Amino acid sequence: MIVWKRACRSARPSTRPLSSRRCLSQRTLDGLERPVQSYISTSRDPYLNLSIEHFLLQKSAPESTILFLYINRPSIILGRNQNPWLEVNLALLNASGHDELETEPPGLGIVDLVRRRSGGGTVFHDEGNVNWTVICPSKDFTRDKHAEMVVRALRTCSVDRARVNVRHDIVLDQGEHALCTDPEDTHSTPYQLAEADAIRPLKVSGSAYKLTRQRALHHGTCLLSSPNLNIIPDYLHSPAKPYMTARGVESVSSPVGNILLTNERFIAAVQEQFAKLYGAVDDAKDVGDEWREHSPVCKGYDELKVTDLPTTI
Amino acid sequence: MSSAIAQSGAAVARLLQTPAKQAVRCSRQHYLRLRAQRSPFTPALRSFSVGGRVMQKRYTEDHEWIDTSDPESATIGISTYAAKALGDVVYVELPVEGTEVSKGDAIGAVESVKSASDIMTPVSGTIVGVNNVLEEKPSTINKSPEGEGWLAKIKVTDESELSALMDAEGYRKFTEESG
Repeated sequence: MIVWKRACRSARPSTRPLSSRRCLSQRTLDGLERPVQSYISTSRDPYLNLSIEHFLLQKSAPESTILFLYINRPSIILGRNQNPWLEVNLALLNASGHDELETEPPGLGIVDLVRRRSGGGTVFHDEGNVNWTVICPSKDFTRDKHAEMVVRALRTCSVDRARVNVRHDIVLDQGEHALCTDPEDTHSTPYQLAEADAIRPLKVSGSAYKLTRQRALHHGTCLLSSPNLNIIPDYLHSPAKPYMTARGVESVSSPVGNILLTNERFIAAVQEQFAKLYGAVDDAKDVGDEWREHSPVCKGYDELKVTDLPTTI
Repeated sequence: MSSAIAQSGAAVARLLQTPAKQAVRCSRQHYLRLRAQRSPFTPALRSFSVGGRVMQKRYTEDHEWIDTSDPESATIGISTYAAKALGDVVYVELPVEGTEVSKGDAIGAVESVKSASDIMTPVSGTIVGVNNVLEEKPSTINKSPEGEGWLAKIKVTDESELSALMDAEGYRKFTEESG
């Protein structure tokens, strides 16, 4: 059956001009009109994943709500209005881009540098971090709504220390079980310490937003099992910073930690909470390298590269 | 600009927000004095072609305003309501002078609370000026969103697009209804 279908396709040459051929199927494009959609990426390419995310923001039906989950290979993601000279150890980045054998730590190999379209600060992505994105109509948007959804997902996985903080990030409280709090309240936990306490909560997820006329995009990281926690500060500390005055949004540093869940368990929990919030949705649709050929995605791909840097330091 | 107006004549400032038929009660001498304090490119004399649009701001449902009192170019910004909703602005992306835009195009963005929010142009035209003060002091938008925090100046190509926008009273009602 499959062989027969393939033979038929190759037997009929396309009569459509090359410029109008789409690399995404009509069924995929029609899916952008569904009221609730769920996607998961099979690619680890940060430029592709962020391009797909932007495509979903721009082309999905204005009243639709979308969940998109993706994991990137080691990469540094700058906020839209940040200055890489202030945020990143560029020498380390360029060093890890060389072809020579790494003899000094951190030895991560190539680490991509990407400028995303949302605001906020610089974050480090790797395969122990899962990124979640929710796109919804502007009228339904609040800054905490989907961070609260992710906290509920974490709590179903017994991560009771997780809560949303005042900066709309997700943190793990580090205190003893001392307080009596409402388990439904995603902004407090029984382990919460006073603001002035020396033991700060560990940040496990940072949020950022892109707001257009009709649509709101909220995306965040989630540190589950990154093997690179001890070297992330080296990458995200610029030795040039004390000597420079520059425009650009500055990052707010926080101590970070791993939640210690598997990617699969977290992904399933978030998909479940999304379905609870927005109604049952079809199984998450895979997106991946084939989207790279679709011209709006391809156009967005190159726009994400950070180009205003020297090639050597 | 508008902050100078607010300090020197709060009553005149209120009149600037109301329909043009009430604005004509303002003293002409006072009006000309205030107009002269604005951008040097603004002619001191009122052009006869401006008519009922003099000193009138109009607003979009996306919370942008456009001031067409200068016949050479209109000024665009975001409303006080929008500035309050955005929170502290930490970065402003301005359009490039000379860019031709259509009504509803994103001409820039404002960052606040980790959010990059698009600013749309209320009308079609060509960008002829930008407020470079915002590059150094983005907080100007919060301090004076409908005055010194203006974003760009635009040469309007289709004046009929203005009639679809809300006047100050209509915008006030719109924001009250949307909560």
